[in-house]
Amino acid sequence: MVLELQKPRPIWQIMFSTHHTDVGLLYVITSIAFFFMGGALALGIRAELFLPGAQIITDSMTFNRMFTVHGTTLIFLFLLPFASAVGNYFVPIMIRYKDMAYPKLNAIAFWMIPPGGALIWLGFADFSWYATPPYSAIRAPGPAADMWIFGLKILGVSSVLGAINFIVTILKCKHPDLPLSKVPLLAWSFLTSSMIVLVAIPSFAAALVMLLTDRLGVTGFFDPAKGGDPIAYQHLFWFTFHPEVYVLVIPAIGMMYEIIPRFSRKPIFSHSSGVFAFVVLSIVSFSSWAHHMYATGMSFTEKTVFMIGTLAAVPASGMHVFNFVATMWGARIKFATPMMWSVGGIALFFSAGAGGVANAAMPFDFITHDSYWVVGHFHLFVMGTIAFGSIGFLYYMFPYITGRMYNETAGKIHFIMSFVGTVMVFFTQHVLGLYGMPRRVFDYQPYPEYIIMNQIASVGAMIIGASMLLWLINMIYSAGKGKEANMDDPWGLGGKYYFPYQAKNPHH
Amino acid sequence: MDKTIALMSILTILIVLPTIQLVFAATDAHEYINRKVEIWNLFFKMMTIAFTVGAVVSGTLIWLVWRFRESHPNAKPTKYEGTEW
Repeated sequence: MVLELQKPRPIWQIMFSTHHTDVGLLYVITSIAFFFMGGALALGIRAELFLPGAQIITDSMTFNRMFTVHGTTLIFLFLLPFASAVGNYFVPIMIRYKDMAYPKLNAIAFWMIPPGGALIWLGFADFSWYATPPYSAIRAPGPAADMWIFGLKILGVSSVLGAINFIVTILKCKHPDLPLSKVPLLAWSFLTSSMIVLVAIPSFAAALVMLLTDRLGVTGFFDPAKGGDPIAYQHLFWFTFHPEVYVLVIPAIGMMYEIIPRFSRKPIFSHSSGVFAFVVLSIVSFSSWAHHMYATGMSFTEKTVFMIGTLAAVPASGMHVFNFVATMWGARIKFATPMMWSVGGIALFFSAGAGGVANAAMPFDFITHDSYWVVGHFHLFVMGTIAFGSIGFLYYMFPYITGRMYNETAGKIHFIMSFVGTVMVFFTQHVLGLYGMPRRVFDYQPYPEYIIMNQIASVGAMIIGASMLLWLINMIYSAGKGKEANMDDPWGLGGKYYFPYQAKNPHH
Repeated sequence: MDKTIALMSILTILIVLPTIQLVFAATDAHEYINRKVEIWNLFFKMMTIAFTVGAVVSGTLIWLVWRFRESHPNAKPTKYEGTEW
């Protein structure tokens, strides 16, 4: 599946192609571009919080706009499209089909992302990525807020179209000789996460329409002055976005399932337990949404149900970790860059999970609610686990996309700097939260503990930023001038490994 | 696969059912408080188990990375090397 970067083609041939690897390449480039844009905003936010008082951002409204677009970009325009990129490249090849089931629909799903992203960036709304009413329904300034709503609507439709395509491709187009029980775990991860998308997204899609009509003054679903209930929005929002966490994390785990056996030089310990854990996670992802809302006055019974629902994800997550550990046991592991990112991702996944278990406890949640603990916990998942899995996988895909090798030393330095930076930023934010620092603040009290911990977090963020710059240079330079890759065995793992990428679907 | 799913389902039901029994709020206020205490006892026991398992797994992961790296003096080829799998 080497892309024609070795044999240059006019760019419009790739842009207007419906071939799955071309659409995959478009997804990769778009998602990485948005990763750097959203990451730049994160660095601005951390630079502002280096010291109390206004530093580089003049007012709190601009700060609010920055973290709104930062969150929206990295979730909807980096993590989700990057997962789609991997799915586009690998799913058809793994299930032995010539393309996605609906190639044109696939291209349409991709081409909805740039206008969605443009609406979000040109609007630059200020109500955080939750768009929490009543502020978002009554006072958030337009047209920024309305553009955000339309942008999210477009991205939601794109996700649903992509999910339908993955489900049909895997279930209906797989080779007749390939039973579902033999479908690789990466493809299974796309099947289960796509199922979640189909069930979860409509709730938020409805909430967005209700929010828009509230803003237009036609309705008052979330406006208390008109008899509406802002808490209803939170239920609709979290019914989508707690499962959405699994939509992001399941493909990242699928990517690790592809990398870890390859670099351990042995098959995955238990394919069936991986499938089982994916299916269980996709079901229990719907049993925990209200744990985001313990502080909204729910009854003790409701809170307890959602606490147990949250903890129900632990055994399935643990099965994945045990599967990885058991695969590496007795192996001869080559710690090339993709493997380092995957193992680092597992370690941070475990830390993030431990924080989640602690936070599921109601009294503890009341202490940490809306504090920096939550910021640290959430980012350990999205950065430490999902982005680590994704970046590792991009290194893994790199020779297959470009036909060239990246610089291995630079890749390892990138990992070490990012790992250290991630621990500095997000572990420290957990402690900051326990000290009582609220989240989403432009300024903070000049307590010595707050200042030093914010400075540690900001320095960590700058280390991550520098490492990502190194990555960008490595990718661009290596794509053009890197050493030509041995396409049968790019990492010198030896032996006859089953590389699904050796299959190449002809262009159409 | 089928046997694993059946076994896991039975185990899940056996673990979850008694827990749900505790969760339902009682109509009697006196009983309600006792059940709350029981739930928290259960929760802190689970936390202790979770963190103990967490420490063991994290330690194992660090040891695995050190012991099974290809540059370790005792590293041996796996039985799958050189074969198609």
